[in-house]
Amino acid sequence: MSVPSQPDVLVSTEWVAAHLSDPQVRIVESDEDRALYTQGHVPGAVEIDWAVDLQCPIVRDYIDRAAFERLCAERGIANDTTVVFYGDKNNWWACYAFWVFKLYGHADCRIMDGGRKRWELDGRAWSGERVSYPRTTYTAHEQDGSIRALRDEVLNHCRAGKQLLDVRSPEEYRGERMHMPDYPNEGAVRGGHVPGAVNVPWPLNCREDGTFKPVKELEKMYLRELKMKRRSPTIAYCRIGERSSLTWFVLKYLLGFGSVKNYDGSWLEWGNAVRVPIAKGAEPGSIVAAGGPAPTVLA
Amino acid sequence: MTGVRQRLDELVAEFADLDGREKLELLVDFANGLPALSPDYEARKSQEDRRVHECQTPVFLWTESDSGAARLVAEVAPEAPTVKGFVAVLAEAINGRPIVEVAAISDDVLDRMGLAAVLGILRTRGLRAIVARVKRGFAERAAAAG
Repeated sequence: MSVPSQPDVLVSTEWVAAHLSDPQVRIVESDEDRALYTQGHVPGAVEIDWAVDLQCPIVRDYIDRAAFERLCAERGIANDTTVVFYGDKNNWWACYAFWVFKLYGHADCRIMDGGRKRWELDGRAWSGERVSYPRTTYTAHEQDGSIRALRDEVLNHCRAGKQLLDVRSPEEYRGERMHMPDYPNEGAVRGGHVPGAVNVPWPLNCREDGTFKPVKELEKMYLRELKMKRRSPTIAYCRIGERSSLTWFVLKYLLGFGSVKNYDGSWLEWGNAVRVPIAKGAEPGSIVAAGGPAPTVLA
Repeated sequence: MTGVRQRLDELVAEFADLDGREKLELLVDFANGLPALSPDYEARKSQEDRRVHECQTPVFLWTESDSGAARLVAEVAPEAPTVKGFVAVLAEAINGRPIVEVAAISDDVLDRMGLAAVLGILRTRGLRAIVARVKRGFAERAAAAG
């Protein structure tokens, strides 16, 4: 039996095309490559960039509440605006931006299924015009801790043996992909995964055209094959929390999981943290097997 | 005839004066100007390991020498216009100049273009890897030529 998900949260390119001039709707593009938006975007869409707009330039954190309010005001987004996110790479940055909007309690967020790829495949028009909207007044909520996991919480979660998903590639999960010639060190000093984490690479959520797989297929994978429970608290992570926001979106909004958090610190924090246990190889492993000093230092 | 360093300085100055949006627009212009691979290189792509593995998006680079004159041949996936534009900027500065001059490209070219503020730290690191790869490729050419 299916738990009711929230199908309205996914909109088609057709829906978006019909709402291009709807003042109640703001379309937001978020990309891996910012120049894609410059090259051509959905007519009327504004851009919100994960690195430049959503991250605090000083502390490794998101922009604070006041900065988020300014961002929304500048993009012409009001508290009651329906915000539709889309982007490249199967919408992973779109899901990331969606997640940050939910973090600050924005009520009505949607994802345009398939993102840029589907818009292109559907033969819809791109616009290179500069877009601006009248400034709004925006009031954000305090951060919603129910969708964000910080390191110590992940450690406790891991010690309790609760559902943990690593959505990176199998090579990253096993700890094989670490260092390449000339590679600028943006990675971690250790390779592997959080002990107990199951590897479900994020592309398994998507189809070739960039859209999400049908709910029935996703249920088959997560619930029947991986035996995950909708009611068990779940944490997802990747390298910096972008790919895992996509998996977070799938679990929470398409499959109706009750408690899912994104660990945005992800491997770039975990794989660098001192005395935090890791597991290597293809097996999830456990925190006990990971050895090392008792991790109570972080409790 | 202007050298690589001076040519690059001119290009850097063009970028440095622009605001963020204009910088991206200029990169897109450069990206559009990067020629497609000739059939010869297209065929070599599958036979030679020319992929820049440090980049998340597919980038293939050849650092060629035509009797000592540098020629950067590149293919960058269309889904990465920033990278494509940046490679086109490098090609414009380098092509036709003596390969030994390529070593003069300073590693802070991205900072001077003002791209770090537009792209963020992680993305500019990928571009830095391309600069390193290009310089190393031509340095190997120069060493081989004695």
